[in-house]
Amino acid sequence: MAITRRELITNIGKAGVPVAVAMTVGTQALQAEELTVPSEPLSLLYDASLCIGCKACESACNAANNTAPDISGDGLHQAPADLNVFTRNIIKLYKPADGSASSFVKRQCMQCFDPGCVAGCPFEALYKDKDDGIVHWDGSKCIGCRYCTIACPYSVPRFQWLGFNPVITKCELCSHRLAKGLKPGCTSVCPTSAVIFGKRSELLADAKRRIKNNPGRYYQDRVYGEVENGGTQALYLSRVPFEKLGLPEIGPANGPSSTLRWQKRIYSYFALPAVLYAGLVTMIRKNQKGHEQEAHEQEKETGLRAQL
Amino acid sequence: MSTASLSNRPFGATKPPAADTKPRWERAVPVYGVSVITPFFIALAGLAILSLFLTVYREVVGLGPASGMNDKFGWGIWKTFNVVVLTAWGSGAFAVGVVAWVFGRKRLFPLMRMALLTSMLAYACGLCLLGVDVGRPWNFYWVVLPWHWNLHSPMAEIAICMSVYASIPLFLENIPPILERLWHVNVNWQPAIERVEHGLHKFFPIIVAAAYLLPAMHQSSLGALMLLAGQRVHPLWQTPFLPLLYVGAATFMSFACVAGTTMLCCLVWKRAMDMEVLDEAARISAWTIFGWLAIRNLDLLFRGSLFSAFHFTRYAGIFWTETFLIGYGGWLLLQSLKNHKTQTMFVGYALCSLGGMLYRFSPTTLAYMPGPHAMYFPSAIEVLIALGFASIGIALFLVMVKLLAILPASNQEWRNMAAYYKARKPAISRNKYLGFFGHNELSLSDKRSH
Amino acid sequence: MSKHPTIAEHLKASGVSRRNFVQLCGMLIATAPVGLSLTSKKSVLQVAAAIGKTKRPSVIWLHFQDCTGCTETLLRTSAPDVAHLILDVISLDYHETLMAASGAQAEAALRSAIAENEGKFVLVVEGSIPMKEDGNYMQLGSKPAVQVLREVAAKSAAVIAIGSCASWGGVPSADPNPTGAVGVDSIITDKPIVNLPGCPPNPYNLLGVVLEYVTMGKLPAMDDQGRPKFAYERVIHENCPRRAHFDAGRFATAFGDEGHRKGWCLYKLGCKGPVTHAACSTRHFNEIADCWPIGAGIPCVGCTEKDVVWKLGTFETVPIHLATPPDNYPPIYSAVGGVSIGAAALVGAVAGGLGGATYVYSQRFESSQEAGAERIEAGQDEKQLDKKSDRKEV
Repeated sequence: MAITRRELITNIGKAGVPVAVAMTVGTQALQAEELTVPSEPLSLLYDASLCIGCKACESACNAANNTAPDISGDGLHQAPADLNVFTRNIIKLYKPADGSASSFVKRQCMQCFDPGCVAGCPFEALYKDKDDGIVHWDGSKCIGCRYCTIACPYSVPRFQWLGFNPVITKCELCSHRLAKGLKPGCTSVCPTSAVIFGKRSELLADAKRRIKNNPGRYYQDRVYGEVENGGTQALYLSRVPFEKLGLPEIGPANGPSSTLRWQKRIYSYFALPAVLYAGLVTMIRKNQKGHEQEAHEQEKETGLRAQL
Repeated sequence: MSTASLSNRPFGATKPPAADTKPRWERAVPVYGVSVITPFFIALAGLAILSLFLTVYREVVGLGPASGMNDKFGWGIWKTFNVVVLTAWGSGAFAVGVVAWVFGRKRLFPLMRMALLTSMLAYACGLCLLGVDVGRPWNFYWVVLPWHWNLHSPMAEIAICMSVYASIPLFLENIPPILERLWHVNVNWQPAIERVEHGLHKFFPIIVAAAYLLPAMHQSSLGALMLLAGQRVHPLWQTPFLPLLYVGAATFMSFACVAGTTMLCCLVWKRAMDMEVLDEAARISAWTIFGWLAIRNLDLLFRGSLFSAFHFTRYAGIFWTETFLIGYGGWLLLQSLKNHKTQTMFVGYALCSLGGMLYRFSPTTLAYMPGPHAMYFPSAIEVLIALGFASIGIALFLVMVKLLAILPASNQEWRNMAAYYKARKPAISRNKYLGFFGHNELSLSDKRSH
Repeated sequence: MSKHPTIAEHLKASGVSRRNFVQLCGMLIATAPVGLSLTSKKSVLQVAAAIGKTKRPSVIWLHFQDCTGCTETLLRTSAPDVAHLILDVISLDYHETLMAASGAQAEAALRSAIAENEGKFVLVVEGSIPMKEDGNYMQLGSKPAVQVLREVAAKSAAVIAIGSCASWGGVPSADPNPTGAVGVDSIITDKPIVNLPGCPPNPYNLLGVVLEYVTMGKLPAMDDQGRPKFAYERVIHENCPRRAHFDAGRFATAFGDEGHRKGWCLYKLGCKGPVTHAACSTRHFNEIADCWPIGAGIPCVGCTEKDVVWKLGTFETVPIHLATPPDNYPPIYSAVGGVSIGAAALVGAVAGGLGGATYVYSQRFESSQEAGAERIEAGQDEKQLDKKSDRKEV
């Protein structure tokens, strides 16, 4: 396959130079690009040491979102085993077998700064609001591929397995109530104020104040969500290790954006694929000429129509 | 589709060659003298129809009752097997094509039509099943509207790229055998057909370059999918090199598919096997396999994850099974070059196919750990639908291979076929769809121009 | 009639109908279904028979720093017969509020009551006892209350401290406690004391303890603060009729608001139910349902608890402690997914079928080779092929 270097370079040059320029510009833009942080992120602060497991937040969430309670367990009581299409937040109990300290945990969408679901969603059905940072689901673009259920490290988005018009359900911080000046359903009813709502900066400061005023009370004197997974808008304080409550310890640099950075760079402006394409076209054209010549020769010799 | 001659002497000349001269694979010849409706075909068709009924059921009641998928395992075998595994196994158009047309290994040209057909069927069935699997397929039109494409997402890349690839370049690549057949059916159609063929030849590099670029992109993106799962994929599989390893696996798997299927077809329909072509394919497959194994294991070594292969866990078991199947398969392929046994070659292809399938399947399901107490196993309906769609592909393959010139053979075989149809001409004019040549009679001077 | 008639004899002589008496026994069972051997696992008639055989217990009732509320609670029953009934079942030999005598006659009555029943009477103390200034903040017949208590208690069989004041000091002991008010058990240490805190407590608590003592001969099981467990083992919160509202997150947030009018939980208004040991949730007052503070929309103030009622703010919410959380919560990781036999069999069949077919066909490669099927060897030169054919012809 003797393609002359000149031919290859000429062809690549014709198609490739402008594209390569675009790619360089694009790469520079990429390096300058950082994660866009919402302007006024809204948060939940959940202090597991104050939670009494009354589950008022579960009922309030159903009422706020107009969802029927999940009575699929015994057909009578609302007792979901995990988040599902009816349950946007859930209280779970960590109760170690050895009798050491137990703790409740409230699980709902973490409203991450670098959401895995948003990174994975093919057509931006899941998107993060630029101002308050709430991650919303838009049914008009969702194809139901369920990649978000796999991409989310907290296993939050839940797919509707029954019916022909399935949706993806997750906590959206009761944005419809926020628009009316109300607070999210769960924080409105919590009797012990274990979960409270507010601006992330204020809640983070509050959490740190609690840690400072109660030395030794909280696990590693740390607020989960400050930097974990690139930072989340749902903040957690706990007496027991966060991993025991099902909150994985994901470092700040291991978010979806960094995982997929090569995916984005390679396909940025389709520059690299375009260059490759130009190269492929050149080499194929060269091989095709030789092939067709041989085919016609064979046709003459054998009398059988060439199969090209 | 001629091979490079070993000497400069023209081979075959204008008169029929001596009966005992060994032929080579010089052109594709349809499988003649075999009925399309066989018991095997009927079984496949039955499975296919059953799966279509079950698909209606799935559409009406939803994914939950029709499959074993759950909140922790959102993907079932429809995605993880029929799409991730079978499209890789059936990506011969890409792998064989790149080796033949980009790296210029002309010896592999006879395998191209087999590669193209198997790919077309694997992708068509895979994409149709993908349409069944997604929960809201009516929103799929966003594939063609770029303003909401999320370029971060491997899923977007796959959806867009696979759809475009299967519907345009791959489809166009599969048109020539159809045009060829139509050319023989009716003399009056020949000018129009030749114009279309001429157009295709003119745009051949553009179409075919896309047909190699796009699969490279989406086969690697199929690997990138599980990158987002992070620690939830076992370290023996999770690596930033996952896209590269997926493309590599697709390469040797599709070689196995194309060459192995061709060998099987030759065996079943009693065709001669051209060892020059098959040996070339085996050699390329084997070295791809060893290169792939080297990259995979060195990556594991340097990331410090190789040690977990030596624990007594089921993950280590799967890892060693994969490695053994792929490695031993590759070794058998090399052995077959030495001992000249087609059996060894076939078994080698079978083993490395299986190993490659296991490799591509593992990160999505077997080595995917969404949490304690979570498990997944496909439901019976799910298995039947998956089988059914695969059966559609196989059944269509059986039909195509008999209708069109796909399976490679010698020029003599073509002449034998012509003689066969000539002898049965009255029967064929009654059964035009089975016969290759309708009104036209094949003779040695059947070419119109050139 | 004998000097010390049985209760049944006395009731009969007083003209109290047996029906009313049996009703009283029924109410006693309702008071203490468990925790009192008198009523535990007994039918009404069995209880009536047991009580009927008992001699009327002699009860001496002393008042100290009290408001007489505990007496009132005994008398303020909805059906007047029951009040009489109580006073017919027990023989209240000295009670400053209820007896007709006063002055020197009252003092004489006390002395004779003690002398007649020495060592057998039950002393009921109502009100706290001041200790400051040698106990002279309260005198009974020129004697400091503490001295009176010591003298009378020394001759009693058992002491029942009725009301929070007698149990631990009550209202008079609230900060700054200028009189140094204390409960009975701070003064008397050598007699069995039963504390019945409450402001006031439910009268059936007293009745149950007294009858248990005189009928069965022993005091009921008590907790570490000397309170009978049958009445003081659980907190109000555990059996509160409004508990469902608490669990569902329905709270009244202001007096008179919608939630308050609907009867929702009063926790956010400062109800001390979660930390108050008493039986008021199940036994309301005056034999009328919902005749108790929470039933009336007033958050519980914790009147039985020394550390609650005059220590915490009225509207201050209390922490809710659960020693061991119950098991009806989902675990952190739930089980999900499973295998069905049919599916497993199907997959097995498919895998087996494919594997078998591959094996069978691979074997045919071998046999086709042996049968000499056409194979084209790689690398064979055409010249050699021609030569071979030439040789064959030859």
